Amino acid sequence: MPKTVLLVEDEFLIAMDLELLLQRHGWLVLGPAATVSQALLLLRNSVPAVAILDVTLKDGAVTPVAEALRDKNVPFVLSSAYEKPERIGGEVLAGAVNVGKPVDAQTLLGALEQAMRS
Amino acid sequence: MVMNLEDLYRLRRNGYIEAQGIVDTVPYPLLLLDQNLRVRTASRAFFSTFKVERDETIGQHIYDLGNGQWDIPELRRLLEEVIPKSTAVVDYEVEHAFPSIGVRTMLLSAHRLFHPENNSRSLLLSIVDATDRRRLEVEKDLLLGEMRHRMKNLFALVQALARQTSVDGRSGEEYRDAFLGRFGALVRAHDVAYTQDQKADLKELLEQTLKPYSEGATIVIEPSKPVSLTPSRALSLSLILHELATNAVKYGALSTSTGKITIRWTIERASKKHLRLIWQESGGPPVTPPTTTGFGTRLIEFSVKGEMGGRVELNYAPKGLAIEIVTPL
Repeated sequence: MPKTVLLVEDEFLIAMDLELLLQRHGWLVLGPAATVSQALLLLRNSVPAVAILDVTLKDGAVTPVAEALRDKNVPFVLSSAYEKPERIGGEVLAGAVNVGKPVDAQTLLGALEQAMRS
Repeated sequence: MVMNLEDLYRLRRNGYIEAQGIVDTVPYPLLLLDQNLRVRTASRAFFSTFKVERDETIGQHIYDLGNGQWDIPELRRLLEEVIPKSTAVVDYEVEHAFPSIGVRTMLLSAHRLFHPENNSRSLLLSIVDATDRRRLEVEKDLLLGEMRHRMKNLFALVQALARQTSVDGRSGEEYRDAFLGRFGALVRAHDVAYTQDQKADLKELLEQTLKPYSEGATIVIEPSKPVSLTPSRALSLSLILHELATNAVKYGALSTSTGKITIRWTIERASKKHLRLIWQESGGPPVTPPTTTGFGTRLIEFSVKGEMGGRVELNYAPKGLAIEIVTPL
């Protein structure tokens, strides 16, 4: 049974690319969500195994999404071009792995597996 | 040489005038303190910067100056602990709220002078207001951080284009050309999107994006009301137009000499302002719907629905492909 990953990314080309990449590697993609409100709406009805979060979205910082995930005990990894995402998104992002941007397939897939194990 | 008292006096007086001249020439506040930390002299810039008079300054103890505005714990530490152990201190930073000029970041430099003739010591204290410089540095760092962030985002976009450009059934050369075509569209979109005040003009964007395909081809952009687009929307539209144009060159109206593409748009006022953009091909070979969903179709669907919050209709009519994009402005 495929595992579900929530994809939160507001740059549509990157979202599209990551969606395809994850699907090719056997993931079921929830999203992609381009805004905080879209992501929160998706989380209301489903609980993914893990999530990939961009830090700055069209309607603000990803913080509320990260908090919702933390409340549901869903691990997440960040994919942000910012070197210190917690400076923008706050403490809730501080412990998370940031795979950076751009990210290669192996790093991303490895980080997702790692996040689910910890 | 014998020096009489008058010569000696003149020499000392010249020395004094010279010293005061130097002090006054210094463009930043400078204090000369005696060994008891009383002000012996101060530069003109000191009076103007801190809005104080010469009379209320000279002879005063530094901590009593200007109603005690220099009685700062950090300055006390500098004068009483740091300086006695060293002959010079450079750029010691003090942040303080001055009653006359507000919160300032000051860089203090101090140099101890020893006068062997009477065994006395004095202290030169220069004060540089680094508030504006510090603020500029912070702004510069923020700007550079934002710049780095944008660059990495662009790298990620290019990576996505490279990964999304299919290798199936393509030679290396064909892959390269397809990728570079998309890359070129991204570059041109940036030119249009970021040149003037973060606003892109739709007509200009259409002309710029379709320029590489217009040579010897009939592409008509019907005049209409000007529309300005945000950079992200301009980028999306530009990539869409590129996909439509390359598709037209391969299979559609631009694959024959008789084909034609007409682009027109209207602005509609429903509850919100909407842009309706129509791409109409005609005169080309008969159209058949594609059997698989390629990058172009995915891109159009994804960007119009996800990115722009609009809708798109692809009509594979036999007489020519028609595409209608409706998006809130």
